[in-house]
Amino acid sequence: MKRLGFYISIYRKIVIQDIKSKMSYRSDFIISMIGMILTDISELAAFYIMFLNFPSVCGWTYHEMLFLYGFSLVALTPLQCLFDNNWQLRHYVYEGDFIKYCFRPINVFFYYISEDFDTKGLGQFFVGFGTIIYAWYKLKLPVTFVNIAALIVALFAASLFMVAIMNIAAASCFFLTNSGYIMVTMNKFRDYAKYPVTIFPIFFRIIFTFIIPIAFIAYFPSLVILRPQNIPFLTWFSPVYGIIFFYISYKIWMFGASKYSGTGS
Amino acid sequence: MRIKSWIALTRVSIMDFMQFRLSAFVMLIGNIIYLIVIYNLWKAIYASVDNATINGMSFNDTMIYLVLASAQFTFMEAYLVWMMSRSIQSGKIVLDLLKPVPYSQYLLFGLEGGNICAFVVTFIPTFIIVEIITKGYIHLGINTLFYLVAATLGMLINFAIDFFVGTICLYTQSTWGINIMKEVVVLFLSGATVPLAFFPETLRKIVMFFPFHAIYNTPLTFLTKGPELSLAESFIMVGEQAAWVIVLILIGKIFWKLSERVITVNGG
Amino acid sequence: MEYVIELKNVDKEFKVLNRHEGLKGSFQDLFSRDYKIIKAVNDVSMNIKPGEIVGYLGPNGAGKSTTIKMMTGVLQPTRGEILVNGKVPYKNRTANAQNIGVVFGQRSQLWWSLPLIESFKLLKDIYNISDKDYKDMLTLYESLVDIKELYSKPVRQMSLGQRTLSDILAAFLHNPPIVFLDEPTIGLDVSMKAKIRNLIKALNKEKNTTVILTTHDMGDVDALCERIVIIDKGTMLYDNDIEHLRSFFGAYRTLLIKTKKHPEELTDDEKKAELDNVEAIVKEAFADKEFTFSSTDEGWCSILIDESQVRLMKVLNHIQEKIKVYDVRLEEISTESVIRKIYEDAENMKKAN
Repeated sequence: MKRLGFYISIYRKIVIQDIKSKMSYRSDFIISMIGMILTDISELAAFYIMFLNFPSVCGWTYHEMLFLYGFSLVALTPLQCLFDNNWQLRHYVYEGDFIKYCFRPINVFFYYISEDFDTKGLGQFFVGFGTIIYAWYKLKLPVTFVNIAALIVALFAASLFMVAIMNIAAASCFFLTNSGYIMVTMNKFRDYAKYPVTIFPIFFRIIFTFIIPIAFIAYFPSLVILRPQNIPFLTWFSPVYGIIFFYISYKIWMFGASKYSGTGS
Repeated sequence: MRIKSWIALTRVSIMDFMQFRLSAFVMLIGNIIYLIVIYNLWKAIYASVDNATINGMSFNDTMIYLVLASAQFTFMEAYLVWMMSRSIQSGKIVLDLLKPVPYSQYLLFGLEGGNICAFVVTFIPTFIIVEIITKGYIHLGINTLFYLVAATLGMLINFAIDFFVGTICLYTQSTWGINIMKEVVVLFLSGATVPLAFFPETLRKIVMFFPFHAIYNTPLTFLTKGPELSLAESFIMVGEQAAWVIVLILIGKIFWKLSERVITVNGG
Repeated sequence: MEYVIELKNVDKEFKVLNRHEGLKGSFQDLFSRDYKIIKAVNDVSMNIKPGEIVGYLGPNGAGKSTTIKMMTGVLQPTRGEILVNGKVPYKNRTANAQNIGVVFGQRSQLWWSLPLIESFKLLKDIYNISDKDYKDMLTLYESLVDIKELYSKPVRQMSLGQRTLSDILAAFLHNPPIVFLDEPTIGLDVSMKAKIRNLIKALNKEKNTTVILTTHDMGDVDALCERIVIIDKGTMLYDNDIEHLRSFFGAYRTLLIKTKKHPEELTDDEKKAELDNVEAIVKEAFADKEFTFSSTDEGWCSILIDESQVRLMKVLNHIQEKIKVYDVRLEEISTESVIRKIYEDAENMKKAN
């Protein structure tokens, strides 16, 4: 526990410094933020246009789909803000620069991930949060303690899945050369999380539930709030499953890192 | 001889592409998975309405349109803005400017080889798969020839826009932001994310005033609506694209000429 | 504790996949079990005392980095025993990391976008340095180099020299008993090299820190090392102090001759032709003796002569009879030639076997 406090205090200091230095490039900061928000808004516009032509998708209404989308955006925030350095991992590994992370008396995964805090993710968070509130209001969902708590727990679990999937994808560079496309492909998969998994045929539903568990990112958790009368049994386990899955991804990442340098610590 | 250097640049870029055969293969697989997802998604969407066609688009039309748009993206998008901004930031651009070919041509032909390869490796197989799945739904005839012309012109329009946006990077450090904004605007307004046929009337009219629809929507229309287009209509569509190519390349060149000074002043 | 680092018969082998060509080959590699074993370090033993500065030398790919990675706990030896500060480094990498400092090539370990002083403050937290020790260390740094003006500069904006300097200071910051420096002066100009050498020397004196230094620059060795260890192709060739090294080759002297009026204007090919000519002349007369020939950057021909075999003057006289010699210089054997000689002897021994 003392160790945890130590890590939190170091992380806080690194992040504050990193944000400070990013803020000093103001125009870049603003343009990136606008770019991020524009990306999300174009997706919202795509939803809007789709529902102008079609009343519902597989029994899901416009506002329910908006909720799902907003939910997946907010759940994406931790991945975008805290774990963005994973995208650089393969460059560090190929060019041999990864070794520098092995000489400090702290956890390699922590040290590597702490190095970058991506402020752009905050823009995404606000768009997603706004979308959830709008959809919540339009769907006339009750604002109860249970609902809010369920939302927070569900978001937490969803974030774990997102991060875990990308952790594993990033760690592939320890085992394979030229692994950039795995990151890109996984990221695309992650993007499908905003659709209800029921639209897919059973084969893909199984894959998206058990192998690349994107169904847990937005679909299952959203059910808890949108369709509380009709929730698949598995949903209740998603926080636990999320923690386990995250832990597995962490172990794979660390195994890759130790394989890279050749030691088991 | 100008042509000779064009061919040389194209050849080098083809050889470059060959080094990444495995990633091209994965690109194709990614496209097929995308095809499956899109197929199921739109099947579900069409299942929720009674009529078979919406705004003149049947399920097959929509699916073919979106899958081919994604395949077209893989061979058209050469990430030119990334390339330019990276060489601007690293100062490599100074070396590129020393080449005995104008910078815009150096970039265009340096990318073209990759475009051609990606067309062969990803677009053609995707096209064949779609043709088989839909049991020959895409009409093969003069419209396919028009598609090839329109896709080439679309690629040139995309290039000209990229070149213009890449030039902006001489003034700002925000590579990521500029890139992502360009990508979103182009993909959305060109009809690559949602077919333009679904856009509300007024929005569609506005979009038609911009060059973006000529990148994806025009070529793909030749494939989805091939037989319905008269020869005159086809020529008008291609003519409009050609006009955009000329206008945009001119604008890009002028902007570049005005901006080149930034490099000579700052030393890259 | 007598030694800070002890290596006993250390081997390190790597399993390397035999890669296949082409698309089909890439798929084969995914499932292939076709490994070959490469011995990067072969039976290396050494003991290092506290406060020593040891030059760890060898050509590229000799196994220097591998040995250092093993001593830092990043790599586990295949066989043999390593103790650093009395502990096995790879068994507890993080605990070991607390007691060492590392500067690895040109790869800055500082936070790229942060001002230097913020990096230092973070290191203070990470290594749990007390306020007093931290302050004392900075005071020491400030007395040794002009570091104050760099404090507010982000590492990204520093020149290579400033970055190296900062990295070295960062490695010493938590006052570790051992610091590993991997080619610290690579790519630096002459005055910066001198600055860095003085700094390392001063920190070693002040804190009695053991320094393990790998380098290709003999200037570093001459300026810093009391002891050198030479390794090639994973095998140790030499381990002794530097004085002993020179006396070991004491009978050797270098004869430098100028065969053209302005040899510095010659092209590389022409320099080579001059050298070949001289080599032919010398070898013709002293066929049974051993020499080492090389060209200097200024176009002089350099001949390393073992005076126990043949007198230097005799060689010079013979050359002068055959060609016109514009100028002559004599040199005691330099560290550089000694080390080249060691590599060559090892090479010849291998050939003879």
